[in-house]
This record gives sequence, structure tokens and C-alpha cells, in this order.
Amino acid sequence: MSVRVPVPDRTRVLERREHPVVRVLALAGLLVLWELVTRTGRVPSLFLPSPLDVIQSGVEMLRSGELVTDVLTSLRRVVLGVGLGALGGVSVGLAIGISRLAEAVGNPLIAATFPIPKIALLPLLILWLGIGEASKVAVITLGVFFPMAINTYAGVRSADPLLIRAAVSFGAGRWSLIRKVLLPSALPMIFAGLKLGAGTSLLLLVAAEMIAANAGIGFLVLHAQNLMETTKLMVGIVLLSVLGVLTHWLLVRCERAAIPWTT
Amino acid sequence: MRLFARGIAALALAACALGGAGEVPGQGAKVRLGVLKLTSSAVLFLGAEKGYFREFGVEPELVFFDAAQPIAVAIASGDLDVGATGLTAGLYNIVAGGVKIWIVADKGREWPDHNLTALLVRRDLYDAGARTLRDLKGRTIGVTQIGSTFHYNVGRLLEREGMAPGDVEIVPLQSLGAVADALQAKRLDAAATAEPFVSRLESSGAGVTIIRTGDSLPWQIAAMLYSDTFARDRRRAVAFMRGYVKSSRHYFDAVLRKKSGPEFDEVVAITATYTGARPELIRRGFPYQDRDGRLMPGDIGRQTAWWYARGLVKAPIAATGIVDESFLREALEGLK
Repeated sequence: MSVRVPVPDRTRVLERREHPVVRVLALAGLLVLWELVTRTGRVPSLFLPSPLDVIQSGVEMLRSGELVTDVLTSLRRVVLGVGLGALGGVSVGLAIGISRLAEAVGNPLIAATFPIPKIALLPLLILWLGIGEASKVAVITLGVFFPMAINTYAGVRSADPLLIRAAVSFGAGRWSLIRKVLLPSALPMIFAGLKLGAGTSLLLLVAAEMIAANAGIGFLVLHAQNLMETTKLMVGIVLLSVLGVLTHWLLVRCERAAIPWTT
Repeated sequence: MRLFARGIAALALAACALGGAGEVPGQGAKVRLGVLKLTSSAVLFLGAEKGYFREFGVEPELVFFDAAQPIAVAIASGDLDVGATGLTAGLYNIVAGGVKIWIVADKGREWPDHNLTALLVRRDLYDAGARTLRDLKGRTIGVTQIGSTFHYNVGRLLEREGMAPGDVEIVPLQSLGAVADALQAKRLDAAATAEPFVSRLESSGAGVTIIRTGDSLPWQIAAMLYSDTFARDRRRAVAFMRGYVKSSRHYFDAVLRKKSGPEFDEVVAITATYTGARPELIRRGFPYQDRDGRLMPGDIGRQTAWWYARGLVKAPIAATGIVDESFLREALEGLK
């Protein structure tokens, strides 16, 4: 007859279990607490609009079509800006990563222009490009260009020399070396840059829509700020944060599809 | 939590004032006074420099801002006791949002023959015959912000011309600098702006003034504001107002009545040291205000109703919930 000796698993403290319920509860609890604080009437609604008011205001704006116009207008600017910025950034990053000559030209230029706050350029952008769509897209493009260029450059430089030598000794030409070795090994860095750039683009949306906008999420935020309508301001902020989460999720999906070997 | 603590502090102060155990004048803390670093704040620089506030036992501490709205916000949050600022839809929305702020005295009006704000038309359009607001139909007019005093100017002027709000396109560019740049670059057809940008745009040939707002639309564009906490501290609130009235009278007599001479030059010099602006620009930009600090009767009510009718102020505001001239009346009684 055997005796069962209970042995406590003392590593259980290290077991990091998922707590999906707690996650939801924590968020819901915060919202409920927030709502309760506003219900006491001690805090004026100007300082802290209640979550229900924010939701109600959001629904009203959705019904009136205002929100849809704002989101679509901003999305177009963001997609265009990120697209152009990414295209330019990857091309420049590749060029300075591959060619010593391009590096000599590009690196100091990037170092000199990267730290310029894009908002400081607004007056110049108005003068050069006017108050139409071009200047708004340009603000975002500039914001996305730099992380993309710097990351692509770093990605190309960190390509495994062994792989490069192997490819060359198997007779790979210049283009196929770029296409089959350098670009794929830079991809993880490019995606990291893309995630940074997408986040930056949402940050810059407000700056971009400071230029004579009459629709867009940045415009909504500015407009609410100017009029001190804090409830609408919250709607705009929540919208920006939701967009941020969605784009990040989308990019992670793309990343998994494009570079299955890393994740 | 901070708000709550402030509420208690306000109650304590109010209790002190009621109990008659308030501090002796001169011993109180400094009055935090928010002002714009512009010529339009001259009357407050004058009061601080000439010791008019100190005379009544209050020591102002000037806090400089570069836009009107943050002053109103800082008063709402309790970070300022007094503010001298423009009357915008944002300010009225603070009150509509449940925070008490009191408009207590005149601090600048659009008035005939005084430069403050103006409507400028692009030079080439002016030369081609655009001389009135009607000629700007279908064109763009740059303003700083939706809900700003400039927006009000354009909106009211359109109304007087019998034009609809949609007859021109109002373009918000967030700052006076951006509006000036855009007109200069011919990206706008017209601009609603203020001194010193009016002079600058005219001298560079970028634009021509077609309407000086004060000439066709006199209104209460700026005012003195009290935070609710400060307003409850009756003794200091009235003492501050006495100093303000003295300063206003000096300003009125030296600047608005005389228009030149050594007393005028003294105010210009004081304003120059506080703002760092060039004296010749300062000379052009002194706004009109009442000698005794009285508000234009009924104008605040007219403004809030106008904004509310356009959906830019979210609730109707009763004049009694935002205007309180009792401090001014009490101060004036004490002075004469």
C-alpha cells in the first residue's frame, strides 16, 4: 500500500496565469468609479465629464454623421501620410544602408533634420504648400519618414555578413542581394519603425489639422479645446486611442504574415 | 482631491470674511493676476508699476500668458485669482460647464477711432475692387479659432451686412502668426486679426484694412475676471478693484484723452518694459476702455445669446450667473 505524500508545488507563485476576467473587471471598475465620482456632483462636469456623457455625446455625433466624416477625413490623411513617409523612409534607409556615398550624404542630413519639431515647421509648410490637404499630409509624412529611414538603415546594417557572403558566392547580383537578403533581414526593423511611425502619425494628426481644417479627429480635438467642450474633447481622445490600438493590431497581423520566421 | 481641498479653503476664507476676522490689508497673500504680454494689458502694468494696487493693500503677482483662453482655464482651475482676457465662446462654455467665473469690469472695448482688431483684405483683391465684406462673398477669411473674438467679429459683421454665415468660408489657423503668414502667402483672401499684426501686414503690403472693427461694431471684447474663490474674499476683491479703477482712470486720462505728451509717453515706456514691444507699435495699439471700468450694458448677454444661437455655447447663460459688477460699484463708492 502506498502512502500519498502531498507535495506542494512551490513554483506556483511564478506561474503567471492569464486573468481575462480580472482584466475586464479592472477596466469596468475604473469606469464605474469614474462615473460615481462625477455623480457626486463635487466635480464640475467641465473638469471631468462622466463616461456616460462621453458615450452619449459620441453616439449623438455618430448619428449626426459628424464622427464618420471626421474619422474618414483623418484616415485618408493618415494613410496618405504614412504611405508616403514609409515609402520615402524605406527607400532612403536602404540607400544609405547599402551605399557608402549615400550614407555620407544622408546620415548628417537626417541627424540635422530629425530633431526638428514638426509643429515648428507649420508656418513654412503653409507658405510652401498652402492650407489645403498637401500641407496636412506633409506634416504626417515628415513624422513617419524619420523613424522609417533610421530603422531601415539599422536593419540593413545589421544583416548577417555570412548570409551576404553566401549569397554573393552563389552568384547573387546586386538587385537580388538587396531583394533576397538585405530587405528581408531589415524587415523586423522596418516593421518596428512602421509601428512607431503609425503612432507618431496619430500624434501629429492634431498638429496637421491645426492648418485650416474643418473636419478630422485632430480638428475635433482642437475645436473642443477652443470651445472648452471637455465632453467632446474626451470623445476625440478616446477615438484617437481606439485608432491607435487598431492600427497597432493591424500592423502586428501584417508583421506576422510578412515575417513568419521571427514570431 | 485638489479641487475638494480648494473648496474647503474657499469655505474657510469665506468664513473668515464673514466672521470679520479677515486679515489686515497688506498682510494677505499676493493676488495672482493673469495677463497677456500685449499692449492691451497696459492698464494693469500701469497699476502694478504705479503702486495703485499696493495703495489698497493688495500685491499683484503678474503671471504672463500668450493666449486668452489659458487665462480663463487657469481661473477655472483656481490657479489664478484675477485675469484680464478676451471674451470667447470657450470662456462661456467653462461657465456653462458648471464652473463659476465672474466678469467684474471693463478691460477693453472695440470702439470707434481705436485700433484693436481689423479685417484685412489681400492686396491684389483690394486693388481688383474688393472693398467691403459683400465683395468677399464665397471667399476665405482667416481667424485664430472657432469661438474666438475674431470669429465673433466676422460673424457679427456678416450679420450687419445681411449676409449668411455660409457666405464666406471661415478658416481657423490657431494663431495670429499663422493667419498673418497665410495672408502674406496669398493662401487666404482676408484675415481677421489684431495689432500689431494689422500694422505689420499693411506695411509689408500684404493686406489692406477694409474694416476697423471698433468703427462699425463696438463691443465688449475683453474684461476683468475673478475666480469664484477670490470673489468670495470680498474685502480683497473690492480692494483690488479700487486699485484697478485708479489705474483705469490714469490710463484713460493719460492715454485715451491726451493722446500724446509726457504722461502718454510714460505709459508707453512702462508698457514697453513689460511687453518688450517696440514703442512705435505700442503707441498705435492702445485699446479703448471705460474710465471707471464699467462694462458695456447688456453686451455680455448679447454675446452669450449669439454664441448659443450658433450652437457654439452649449447652454444658455443668464447674465446674473456670470456678470458681477458689485465689486466695481463698491469700489467706486469708496473712491468718490
